[in-house]
Order: sequence, then C-alpha cells, then structure tokens
Amino acid sequence: MDLRAGDSWGMLACLCTVLWQVPAVPALNRTGDPGPGPSIQKTYDLTRYLEHQLRSLAGTYLNYLGPPFNEPDFNPPRLGVETLPKATVNLEVWRSLNDKLRLTQNYEAYSHLLCYLRGLNRQAATAELRRSLAHFCTSLQGLLGSIAGVMAALGYPLPQPLPGTEPTWAPGPAHSDFLQKMDDFWLLKELQTWLWRSAKDFNRLKKKMQPPATAVTLHLEARGF
Amino acid sequence: MAAPVPWACCAVLAAAAAVVYAQRHSPQETPHVQYERLGSDVTLPCGTASWDAAVTWRVNGTDLAPDLLNGSQLVLRSLDLGHSGLYACFHRDSWHLHHQILLHVGLPPREPVLSCRSNTYPKGFYCSWHLPTPTYIPNTFNVTVLHGSKVMVCEKDPAVKNRCHIRYMHLFSTVKYKVSISVSNALGHNATAITFDEFTIVKPDPPENVVARPVPSNPRRLEVTWQTPSTWPDPESFPLKFFLRYRPLILDQWQHVELSDGTAHTITDAYAGKEYIIQVAAKDNEIGTWSDWSVAAHATPWTEEPRHLTTEAQPPDHDQHHQLTGTPAHHEDL
Repeated sequence: MDLRAGDSWGMLACLCTVLWQVPAVPALNRTGDPGPGPSIQKTYDLTRYLEHQLRSLAGTYLNYLGPPFNEPDFNPPRLGVETLPKATVNLEVWRSLNDKLRLTQNYEAYSHLLCYLRGLNRQAATAELRRSLAHFCTSLQGLLGSIAGVMAALGYPLPQPLPGTEPTWAPGPAHSDFLQKMDDFWLLKELQTWLWRSAKDFNRLKKKMQPPATAVTLHLEARGF
Repeated sequence: MAAPVPWACCAVLAAAAAVVYAQRHSPQETPHVQYERLGSDVTLPCGTASWDAAVTWRVNGTDLAPDLLNGSQLVLRSLDLGHSGLYACFHRDSWHLHHQILLHVGLPPREPVLSCRSNTYPKGFYCSWHLPTPTYIPNTFNVTVLHGSKVMVCEKDPAVKNRCHIRYMHLFSTVKYKVSISVSNALGHNATAITFDEFTIVKPDPPENVVARPVPSNPRRLEVTWQTPSTWPDPESFPLKFFLRYRPLILDQWQHVELSDGTAHTITDAYAGKEYIIQVAAKDNEIGTWSDWSVAAHATPWTEEPRHLTTEAQPPDHDQHHQLTGTPAHHEDL
C-alpha cells in the first residue's frame, strides 16, 4: 500500500474502527469478586508504569525528531487543529465529573491515543524506535483493558462510537515534514498529560470506592451507583 | 511729615527682614532629585548661578570644603553610598540659598531572580522575585503571566513583598506558562522570563506539627505523627506521600523511610537511650518535587526506670511499707 505523507492518518481511520469494535472486556468472575477496588488500584498502578515508560520513550523519540522538538524550553502555540483528545479541563468540571463520565473520558482518550501511536509506529525510522513504540502500545492496550474492566465491574457500558465520530483524519494537502513532527510532539505531550490526569482520576475513584471489607459483597449487588 | 516716616521705615525694615528670613529658611524651590551611579563622578551645578559665582556648598547642613569646587559647581568623585544626601549651595556673601539637590547614589538593576511554585495545587501558584544585588534606590517591578497566548492576572500578595498569585482555571494543560518580569529604576532597567509546565512547579509546604514520642516499654521505638500541610487544599483527590528521615543527635548519617500514605510511622530501630532528631517532607504522589524538610522533632526512646539502691537495704517491716506506697519515679527529661 502506497503511503503518501499526510495520508497516514487516513489509514488510521480503518484501524481505529477495528479497535472500537473489539472492546477488551475481561470475563467477569463474580464469585469471590472483591469489587472494583483492586482493579482501580491496578489501573492506577498501570498509569504510573506507563508514565515512567513514556518518559524514556518520549526522550528518545524527541531526539529522533531533532531540534527544536527536543529542547526543554520548546513552547509552540497549540494550533487546535489536531483531533487529539485533550486532557485539559476546567477545574470545577473535573471535580464534579461523575464516575461513569470520568471513566468514559479516560477510555475514549486512550483509545484515540493508542490509535495515533500505532500510526506513529508505522513511520518511525529506526528499528529500535519501532520496538519501543510497539512495547508501549502493548502496555497502553493493557491500560485500556484495565479501564474496561473497572467499567464493567461498575456496570457502565463501554463507549461505542457514533457513526462519523471515529478518529479520522481527512487526507488533505500533504502534511509538511515539520507539521508532521509537530503532530508527533503534541501526541507525546498529550499522552504524558493524560497519564498524569488518569493518576488523579483513579486516585479520586479509589477514595470513593474505599468501602470497609464487610461491605464488599453488598457493592456487588447494588450496581446502580 | 515726621510722624509717619519712622513707621514706614519700620515697615520696610520688617519686610526686608521677612524676605531675608524667607530666603534663608524656606527652599527657593523644592530640591531637585538626582540619581547617580555608584562609583561614578558627578558635577553638581549651583542651579542657574554663573560658573564663577562665589558660592558655598553644604551637605545635610554641614559645610563642604572649597577644594571640591570647580568654580560654583561641586565635583564629587567615585560616588559611594555615603554621598547620598541633601546638597545645598548658597551665595557666599548673602547666604542666599540658591539651589538644592537631593542626591541618591545607587545602581541600575541587575537581572531579577524569578521563581514560581505551586504549594496549593490544584488551586493555583505564586511567583516570587528579587534582585540578586541591591540597587539602593527605589525599583518598580512589572509581572506578566501568559498561558499560551492568554494573559492571566497575577494578584499581588497583600502580606509578602515581591510576590503575586495566579489561579488555575484549567488543569492538565499541555500548554506552558510563561512568566515575565521587568524591573526599572532611575538608572536603568532589566528583565527576565521563565517558562514551565503546570506539573513541574508543584512543591507542597512541609508537613506540620511533627511530633515524636517514645513508646512505653519499647526501648528501640519512636512513634512519629504529623499533619498534611494546611496550605494543600485537597489531600483526598491529590494525596501526598511522605519521606521521613531520622538520626540520633550523636551521628551524622540519616535513616530514610518513604511512606505512600498515612501520617504516622513507628521507628523500630532506634538506639536505646539516645536522643533523636526527626524530620518529614511531603510530595504529591505523582507530580512535582519534594517539599522542604519540616521543623525537626526531638525524642528519646523509652528507657527503663533505674531502681533506687536504698529500697534493697531496708529492714523487712520497712520493706513491706515501701512496697505498699511505691518508690518515687524518676522521669528523664525528653
């Protein structure tokens, strides 16, 4: 398949559609299920692991992109053209998110980000970079599965994309090399920020779901949170 | 007519005296304020007097030696801070005050030192600044905060000088903040700027109320408790983790313990009978840097009370009496 510059995002549309339709929901073992607590903790731990992994991956990738992308003071304007899921949110809105929305936003964000990362992987020049990216994508897939598990345990449906809202990128005029690198830069930045946000999101969920041990079985019955 | 003449004469004399008085005791004009650079040379003219006018100069009321004069102008070389003051020049014969200069010796500002920190995440952050070396003259500072292209308001701290506060409107932003400061005074100006991400400047205040207590009947234990800093607004959603360090006063080497939650810890390997110094630091679980160390707590582990030798040597009936009343206890000062 001939891959024109700027068309790589178009290919993603196909891939992302595939991703949406295969939600990674682990089989629920209800007997002796300790409730969502441990899987929230696991999800939290995964965000920390991923954030740590991303630090070295991003450093390597930005060096590969070269200056100015790997300069610590690099502070480009965010043009807002990209379709990346943005972690930034109004403080009060974030505080007042209900659990379902909080989890949904996380799930949707990482689904999109995983998609874009896979596109990045396809274009990465060195084998080592491709290996690191592939490894990261696998871990990120694990995080998605973990979030899906929490949502299932709490009885929330996994978000299904409405037709036409898949993360597509209309292949317009060929993306210049510099603009492509800008997209890569923002992807990594947004990914890092999302991982920090998720840690806070799951902290909040953890605190809310901290029932005393005796009340665990009751939580399984009362699914209407 | 003879009678009005003496009266008129007195009136004229009085008026003349009044003018002379006015000229000597009230300024001819408000002093001219002048700023000059430390180490430089300056020539102060005596107002509009001609170069060869005969004048005397005074500084803060003290006469100045005539060898400093160049005609009617005062020459000051290698200005130091002691040269600051009120300089006045008088016509030598009439003692008429001709001109006053309020001289301030100082320096233009060097590049200011600017730092920002969030000890109240996610509420906001503050920025502080200072000059690395004094200028000795008044300076004005102007701070601007940009989040991307958006200008944010930095509210002056009512209590602390050279500090202002910014409130976060949005969290989890990928766009950096840029804080710029310019400083200027009569001799020059300077400026600097810093750029940072929301997460990198998070640094809580140190934990509060660190208390260390011996544990009864445990000679190697110390129980330490503390509180999350009161400035940290939301420890539920933004939990802190803690770092404890302790050592006996007699040793230099610290022991360290990192604690992911809870505000208490029991030290179990203390040296018996030795006074310990204990400190705690805090950090957001995921982002930012460690706080400074808390105020130190001191404690000595519990030690067994020494028994009084006199009780052993008592005759039997007295012995029984002592057993009933008990021996007085000695408490070591902790």
